[in-house]
Amino acid sequence: MDDLLPATTLDAPGPPAQAGPARLRTAPLFRHSRLNRLADRGTRFVLLACTLLVVGLIGGILYFLAIRGAAAFIPMAGNTDKVATFRQVFLSTNWDPGDGHFGILPFVAGTFAVTGLALLIAAPTGVLAGVFIAKVAPPWMRTLMRQVMDLLVGIPSVVYGIFGLTVILPLVGHAWLADAPAAGFGVSAAILAVMIVPTIVSLATDAFESLPASLDEGSQALGSTRWQSIWRVLIPAARPRLLTACVLGLGRAIGEAMAVQMVIGNNPQWILLMRQATDQTPVLRFLFTPAATLTTELVQELPNTAAGSTWNNVLFAMGLLLYLITMLLILATRRLGRQEHA
Amino acid sequence: MDTPDFKVRTRAKLADRTMHAVLWLVALTFVGVLLVFVGAILKQGWPELNLHFLTSMPKTLDAGGGIAPELLNSLYLVAISLILALPIGVGAGIYMAEYAGQGRALRFFRLCVETLAATPSIVLALFGMILFVQMMGWSFSIRSGAFTLALLNVPVITRVTEESLRAVPRELIEASYGLGATKLQTILKVALPYAATGILTGVVLTAGRAFGESAILVFTAGTNTSDKFPDFRLSVPGETLSVHLWYVTSDGTLPDASQIAAGTAAVMILVLLVLNLLVRLLDRAIRRRTR
Amino acid sequence: MLNPQIPETKPVKLAVRGMNFWYGEKKILHDLSMDIHAERATAIIGPSGCGKSTFLKCFNRIHEVSSQVRVTGDMLMDGVDINRGGIDQVDLRRRVGMVFQKPNPFPRSIYENVAFGPRLFGVRDRATLDDLVEDALRKAALWDEVKDRLKDSATGMSGGQQQRLCIARALAVHPEVLLMDEPCSALDPIATSKIEELIFELKDSLTIVIVTHNMQQAARVSDYTAFFWLGKMVEMDLTERIFTTPRERMTEDYITGRFG
Repeated sequence: MDDLLPATTLDAPGPPAQAGPARLRTAPLFRHSRLNRLADRGTRFVLLACTLLVVGLIGGILYFLAIRGAAAFIPMAGNTDKVATFRQVFLSTNWDPGDGHFGILPFVAGTFAVTGLALLIAAPTGVLAGVFIAKVAPPWMRTLMRQVMDLLVGIPSVVYGIFGLTVILPLVGHAWLADAPAAGFGVSAAILAVMIVPTIVSLATDAFESLPASLDEGSQALGSTRWQSIWRVLIPAARPRLLTACVLGLGRAIGEAMAVQMVIGNNPQWILLMRQATDQTPVLRFLFTPAATLTTELVQELPNTAAGSTWNNVLFAMGLLLYLITMLLILATRRLGRQEHA
Repeated sequence: MDTPDFKVRTRAKLADRTMHAVLWLVALTFVGVLLVFVGAILKQGWPELNLHFLTSMPKTLDAGGGIAPELLNSLYLVAISLILALPIGVGAGIYMAEYAGQGRALRFFRLCVETLAATPSIVLALFGMILFVQMMGWSFSIRSGAFTLALLNVPVITRVTEESLRAVPRELIEASYGLGATKLQTILKVALPYAATGILTGVVLTAGRAFGESAILVFTAGTNTSDKFPDFRLSVPGETLSVHLWYVTSDGTLPDASQIAAGTAAVMILVLLVLNLLVRLLDRAIRRRTR
Repeated sequence: MLNPQIPETKPVKLAVRGMNFWYGEKKILHDLSMDIHAERATAIIGPSGCGKSTFLKCFNRIHEVSSQVRVTGDMLMDGVDINRGGIDQVDLRRRVGMVFQKPNPFPRSIYENVAFGPRLFGVRDRATLDDLVEDALRKAALWDEVKDRLKDSATGMSGGQQQRLCIARALAVHPEVLLMDEPCSALDPIATSKIEELIFELKDSLTIVIVTHNMQQAARVSDYTAFFWLGKMVEMDLTERIFTTPRERMTEDYITGRFG
């Protein structure tokens, strides 16, 4: 209100006999200037443009990845060698780009193996930590846990990677596998689990805190122990939101690149390697064979391939696949959210 | 019907006590993980932290290099990417909180912001590589890196802006409208000042995330630095601390790669601890006001 | 309602002696003493904030679920101190059931709500569970209304039905005492009268302590009435006497609506 007109002159107060409210001699013109109105209306469109830019970005990312990814299968301007078929890429485990084999299944399988393993660690511990923070911990511990999670989520992935490389890998190597490299799904999954646990913990804590206190009281008034109340009432009641927490954690794990790349060993032939390694028990073989995932292969090979080559284009197709998987997970959380309200 | 004997079974009580211990154990494990983690990184890096390390140029083949340009590039890239992302993020946040209503449009915008926030950084890297590095012809440079990094920041800023604006008490907004203020005036003079601390917290968090980001920058800002120092040109390659940390460990040409990596990791952890402290202070400021 | 001329025949179930109660640093209840007789309904009335709900919740120590509290003095059930007599609070809550102000059924089926308590104590046998559920629902006068839809969600019932379900849920573990914290405050008059009838029937086999701000309700359902004010007990007597010839001036003022 910068444009108040300075026209507010008041009548001198009259004698008490005719007292009443002092009257305005001239009505003040409290009006917005034209500029002000124009700005008010114009802002809406500027802000809308910002929002549409955000929306457009997603379209843009999808478009560019799709174009480059499609170039792996369809001859396009800029292609420098023979295209691959859909089958050869998505349904084959044979990855030997130098020889024209572009089967990406090892990476897809690697991604799901390492993230599944990470979720297996992070989901139960994350939900338990959430219950702990929301329902069991004394106030000082609650504060401490929040800060611990804030710090864990803030640590950069390369620092997680260097920790795995310099602390965990040598440790595991000494403990179990004197000579064999300890790199592989096991250590990668452990590190990924620590990276996604803050996401799960914070969402799980919210889920438990938003449950009405009457549920907890109701079950304890019947003689439930603390844990019976948590296990039989609180966890079932919070289930949709707990699942959402885990799906979002999984999404984070699937997209993580650098930390995993630094410790997983980066071997696209891991399936073959695992079959050959007969001298170990199957579990150890699975956990400690150098492997690769969609993201690690992108980090590993993108700098070494020429734009326009089928190899390079297949890498972009892998990026697109990765993005589509993430989007599916986001949509899944929407579904879960709706289930909660139903 | 005979009434069963409702004695609380020792098994239930045992389970209760066991799970109580398990809950504490899980929680303390995470505390322990963090302590070991930060402790190990700082311990490894501590011997490397000296003025020479922080202020000299990196070397490509010999031992004894520093991280001066990387440190500068990290801060420089975070700053530029925030400057790029802030107006868009705050703008979109304001639109969603104050203009988009409550209907389908808002739900769609939220879905988009969420999707963008969940986009793996390696996917953003691919996009930045196609658009900025190749199509715009900016090659591996600070500006390619900053523009792509901004994509990472935008959704986070949008979300905190929207949330902070929604937390503004309705009475304040209504009081402003009640005086005849336009919507723009209400937002600028009442809502945004109230939400500012919340938005600032989000910006600091975003800065921390951008500071630690590596996947995006490997493919857009590159793994080299300019020969000059300091070099503020936007067209030169801009390797950051996090990229440097990754590159020296995976490249393996440096004889003292592990020391350099340890020192770099320690510097990053220290910067993040400072940022975390800053967030905590801002948070306390917010809570003091609402009390 | 008990006739003042006839002497009490029922034993004392709950005895409170010189009890004080703190919520954190704040003292809420001051030096309370009273006897609550078995198989009688005892009403606690008083203006809001007088501590009557707080007092009620001390009998099953449900405060301790979510807050820091402190109790001094004695609270005896059948002569054993419930705070210090070596009674586990979980055991205590099985023996002292509670119905809350707002119906709080669990978000699952009607059957599962009632079977919840027995299951806690390891009852797995289907036939036993069925019997317990039917028995509890009959006692809560809900059986005829829900017997054909036991598998339906409890949250779809009306408020009055939900509250009776909560009563059935509490009854299913065969408590000795039933605490009712303003059980009708969220209900309409018809649902309220059903609950009141129920209280009348239930007190044949249970000790009932009911907190209410509705004096007509206290007069209708209870044998004894205690009047609380600012965390202290002003007076306790047979309901008949409290409502006709109270000893304290303050009680009379409250009952006749002069304050409160």
